[in-house]
Amino acid sequence: MRNNGISIQTQALNKTFGPVHAVRDLDLEVASGGRFGFLRPNRAGKTTTVRILSGLMKPTSGSASVLGMDILTHAGEIKSLTGLLPETPGLYSKLSAVEFLDFIGALNGLEGPVLDRRIDSLLSMLGLEGRQDDLLDSYSSGMKQKVLVASTLLHEPRLVFLDEPTSRLDPSAGALVKDLILVLAEETETTFFICTHQTSFAEDVCDIVGIINDGSLVIVDSPNGIVESTSAKDLEEAYLKIVGGQVDRDSLLAWR
Amino acid sequence: MTRKWYHIAKAEFYVLTSGLRRHRKVTVTIMYVLAAVWAAYFAPMIIGGFLGAIMPMEVMRTLLMVMFPGLMRTVILFLWALLLLFPLSHALQEIKIGQWEIFLSNNVKTRDILAGTFVGKIPMYGLIVMVFAPLLISPFMLAFEVSLIGQALVYTVIALMVLSTIWLSNFITAIIQARLGDSSRGNDIAKALSVVVALIVIIPMYGLMLFMPQLSGILGINAFLVMPFTWPADLVSWVTITFNGIGLTGSQILAFGAILQLDMLTSALLMAAFGLAFVPIAITAADRVFTISAGVRTETVTTVGRENVFLRGIRSFAKGPFGALTIVSLKDFGRKAQNLSKIFYGVVLAIILPMLMQQITIVEGEVFEAAEILPMISIMIGVVGVFPFAGTGFLESKDQLWIIRSAPKGASHFMRARVATGFMMAIPLSLAPTIAMTLMFNLALLSAVQIFCAAYVTVCGAVMVSMGITAQNPNYEDTKSSAHQTVLITSMMLVQFTLIGPLFATIFLDIGLGFNLFRFMESIFGLSGFMVVELVLGPTVLLLVGGLMLHLGIRSLGKVEV
Amino acid sequence: MAKNDVTIRTQRLNKSFGTVQAVRNLDLDVMAGSRFGFLGPNGAGKTTTVRILSGLLKQTSGYAEVCGLDVNKDRDAVKAVTGLLPETPGLYSKLSAVEFLEFIGALNGRNGSDLHRRIDSLLGILGLEGRQDDLLESYSSGMKQKVLVSSTLLHEPKLVFLDEPTSRLDPSATAIIKDLILVLAEETDTTFFICTHMTGFAEAVCDVIGLLNEGELVTRGSPQELIESAGARNLEDAYLKIVGGKVDREVLLAWR
Repeated sequence: MRNNGISIQTQALNKTFGPVHAVRDLDLEVASGGRFGFLRPNRAGKTTTVRILSGLMKPTSGSASVLGMDILTHAGEIKSLTGLLPETPGLYSKLSAVEFLDFIGALNGLEGPVLDRRIDSLLSMLGLEGRQDDLLDSYSSGMKQKVLVASTLLHEPRLVFLDEPTSRLDPSAGALVKDLILVLAEETETTFFICTHQTSFAEDVCDIVGIINDGSLVIVDSPNGIVESTSAKDLEEAYLKIVGGQVDRDSLLAWR
Repeated sequence: MTRKWYHIAKAEFYVLTSGLRRHRKVTVTIMYVLAAVWAAYFAPMIIGGFLGAIMPMEVMRTLLMVMFPGLMRTVILFLWALLLLFPLSHALQEIKIGQWEIFLSNNVKTRDILAGTFVGKIPMYGLIVMVFAPLLISPFMLAFEVSLIGQALVYTVIALMVLSTIWLSNFITAIIQARLGDSSRGNDIAKALSVVVALIVIIPMYGLMLFMPQLSGILGINAFLVMPFTWPADLVSWVTITFNGIGLTGSQILAFGAILQLDMLTSALLMAAFGLAFVPIAITAADRVFTISAGVRTETVTTVGRENVFLRGIRSFAKGPFGALTIVSLKDFGRKAQNLSKIFYGVVLAIILPMLMQQITIVEGEVFEAAEILPMISIMIGVVGVFPFAGTGFLESKDQLWIIRSAPKGASHFMRARVATGFMMAIPLSLAPTIAMTLMFNLALLSAVQIFCAAYVTVCGAVMVSMGITAQNPNYEDTKSSAHQTVLITSMMLVQFTLIGPLFATIFLDIGLGFNLFRFMESIFGLSGFMVVELVLGPTVLLLVGGLMLHLGIRSLGKVEV
Repeated sequence: MAKNDVTIRTQRLNKSFGTVQAVRNLDLDVMAGSRFGFLGPNGAGKTTTVRILSGLLKQTSGYAEVCGLDVNKDRDAVKAVTGLLPETPGLYSKLSAVEFLEFIGALNGRNGSDLHRRIDSLLGILGLEGRQDDLLESYSSGMKQKVLVSSTLLHEPKLVFLDEPTSRLDPSATAIIKDLILVLAEETDTTFFICTHMTGFAEAVCDVIGLLNEGELVTRGSPQELIESAGARNLEDAYLKIVGGKVDREVLLAWR
C-alpha cells in the first residue's frame, strides 16, 4: 500500500445497543501512515467504533473497510494486520511480562530468538527491565499500560488502534509513546487510530483529529485547522467550544 | 499458522501454576507421579482395608451386587456433576471477556479459543479425577476382583467421560460468560450463579452420603437411560462384570443384562456419540459464542426508586448518620445478586438440616424433643450465619477502604452499620429452619419461639465473628483469593469451636479433674434451670467471641498502615 | 486561618517498604489556599506521600503536619479537615450517586436536608442531574470520577488531596474540575494537593509545582519558574528536561 492509500474508510456506520445509539452515521477516511485522533466525551460504548473497525463487533448498519478489506467479509485478515490496545485490558495477572508477551507473540505466529530479542528490547525501552519476570499483578497501572503498548506493537501491525494509550502514564513514558508513534508512522507507514481525552496529546501526535458529539462526527480536520476555525487558542479550548462544557463561576459555588 | 490453541493452553497452564513459578515442570511432574501411585496402589489398599474392617468381603459383595448398576450410576453421576458444574462455578467467579478481546484482536480462531481453554483445564481437573475416582471405583474393582485389563478399560472409559464432560462444561461456561458480558453487573450475576451451581453439586453429594440406597434405587430405573451420565456408568458396569474374577457365570451376566437394558456396545456407542457430538456442535457455535457485546452495562440502566416502607421505618427509627449508614449498607448488600444467592444458599442449608434430623429420628425411632437438639441446631446453624458474611461482599476494592479510612472514625462507623445490616439479614436465616422444623415435627408455638431465639442469637454471633474476621483480612471481590478461603475457614472453625468448646471443656473437667460441672450446675440451678444454662452457654460465649472479633476487626480496618 | 499560613509542612519525611525507599527526606511547605501540583514518574512516591499526609499511613521517620495538626497524633482531626480522592475509583457499584454521597456524608457525620441540598447542587454542577438515581455500575469511568470528586468536597475540607483527578475525564469534565478547583481555592481558602501526570492540567491549575523523582523532591516553584529555569517551552518539556525521558530515534526503532 502506498502512502496516499486509504487505511480506514467507513460509510454511514451505525451501532445501537437496545435504546443506546453508540455510533451514528459515521463517515470517516484515514490515510495510511496517518495518525488519526478521535476525541469524544465520556460515554458508555466509547470503544464501540474501535471494536467495529478491528473486526470484533458487527455494525448495525453501514459499511466499513480497513486496509482495503471489508470488515464483514475479511475480519480474519484485518485482525492479523492490525493491533489493538483495549481501554480496560484483560491482562493475565498471573503471568509475568515476558510470559505475557511470549503468549501474544505466539498468537501472532512469532517465535524463537526473533521474538525474544524483540520482547527484551521493547521492555528495556519502556523501562521495565529488571521487573520483566515479576507477575503482572504486582505492576502499577502505568507499568501494565506499558506492557500493553508493547504487546500491541509486537507483531508490527500495519494499523494500530490505541484506546487511551497514555492516560495512566507519567509524562516521560507519555513522551516516549508519543515519539514511538511518530517514528513508526513516519518510517514504517504504520497507521494509528487513537482514542483519547488528552487534547494536548492529540495536538502533538495526530495529523488529523475528529471530534464526536452525541455519537456523530462533528468536525474532522488537522489540529491547527480545528483551532483556527473555532478561533480558539488550543485544541482544548476548541473542543470546549464545539462540545460545550464551560460552567460559570457562580454555579460552581452554589452548592456550598 | 502456528498452533494457537497450544499457546492459549500454555498460558492457562502458566496461570494455573503461577504459584510454583521456577519449579513448574518438576512440581507438576511430581504431583502427577504421586497421584498415579495413589490411584494405582494406595487408594485400593486403603479402601480395601476400610471395607474389610466394616464387613466381610462376602457380605459386601452380595450387597454391592444387589444395587450394583444403580450404585454405579450414582457414583458416575457424582463425578459427572462435579466435572460439569465445578469448572462452571469456578469460571463464573471471574469473567474473562477481557481476555477474549486479546484473543480476537490477535486473529485467533474461535475454535482455537475453545480448544485452548479446554486443554488448559485438563491438567487440574485430570489431577482431581485421579485422586477421587479410585476412591469411588475401587470398591467395585475389589468386590468383583476385576482383572488388570478390565481395570485399565474401566479407567479408560472414565478418562473419556472426563474429557467429554470437561469439553461440554467448557463450552457451557463460554456461553454463559458471553451472555453476561464484562461489566460489574454481569460479574455480580455470575458470582450469584456460581453459588447456585455449587449448591447443585452439593445435592448429589448429600444424596450419596445419606440416601445411598434410595438414590441408587431411583437411578436404577430405566427412565434414566436418557440421561448422558448413565451410559458411561453402564459401560463401566459391563466392563466390571465381563472382566470379573469371582466366577460369575454366563446366566448371571445375562441377568445383569436384563437390569442394564442396553448392551455393552449400545452403551459404548451412545457414550461415544454424545462425547463426539459436542465437538462439532461447539466448534460451529463457537463463532456465535465468542463475540464481544457491549456487556450488560450499556444495555440496562437501573434507576433507584423511592425508598420502601421498611427503609423509611429505619430512617425514622434511627435518625442521624448511623441510620443513614445502615440504610446505605443494607441497599448495597441487598442489591448484589451474589449476596442474595448466598442468603438463599444459607436458607437451603438451614432447611436440609431438619430433614437430616428427621431421617435420623425415623431410623432410630426416637421421639423428638426440642430442648435436646437445640445445642445441635445451634452448632449447625452457625455455619449458615458465617457463609453469607465471611470473605466477599464486604469491600469492593482497596480504594473503598481508603475512602472509609479517610473519614474520622470511619472504620468504626462503617463496621457498626455493616453489623446492623447483618443482624437484619439474620432474621430470614433463622426463621427458615424454624418454620421448616415446626411444620415437619408439628412443634408447639413455644418450642418454635425457643428454636427461633436460639437460632437468631447463634446467627448474630456468627455474623459478628465473620465480619470481624473479614475486617482483619479484607479480600475485596475475589472469591478465588487465598485470603477469602482463609477468612471463610477461620470464621467457620471459630464459630464451631466456640459453640462446642464449652461442652468439651466440661467433659475434660470431668475426666481430667473429676469435677462434674453439669452436676454442679444442676445442684445450683435445679434441673430445668440447668437446661436453660446449657442452652444459653454456647450462644453467650459466641456473642462474647463475636464482640471481641468485631473489636479487633474495627481496630485492624481503621489502623494506620506502617 | 490567614492566607499565608502553612497548610502542609513536612520535615525530612521518610518512608520505606522493605528495601524500597518510597519517600526520601522530603521537606515540603504548602501555603493555605494554594494549589500544589505534585509531579513525578510512575512509582515515584506521590501516592505514598498523600497517604502519609492524610493520616492513612505511618511514616518511617521524619515529621509531617497538616493544618497545624501532627499527622501522627491527631489522626481523626486530620481526617476531619481533609478530603481524599484515591487514584482508582472505589465506588459501590450497587448504590446510586445520591446514595453513595449520602454514605460518604454519613461517614463524616453529616445527614439531613443540608447534606441533600449540597449533594443535589454538586451533582448539578458536574452535569450528573437526571442520572443521580441510577446505579453507579452503569456509569462510565468519567462519570464515576465526577461522583468521587464530589464525595471529597462534601464535608467542606480545608485541604483536599486529589490523586490523578482527571486521568479518565474528557476535556469538558476536566475543564469543570479545573474551574471548580480554581474557584474553591480562591474563594474559600481551600488548599489543593494534586498528584497528576497531566502537565497541561498542572500548568493551568497549580500555582506551585513540586517535582518528585525516586522519592526525592527535585525542584519546586511556580510553573513559570520551572519552565524558565529549565529553558523549556512548556511544563511538559521542563519535566522531560529535569526527569529525563527523551529517547532518540534509533533506539525507538531498534526493537524491530
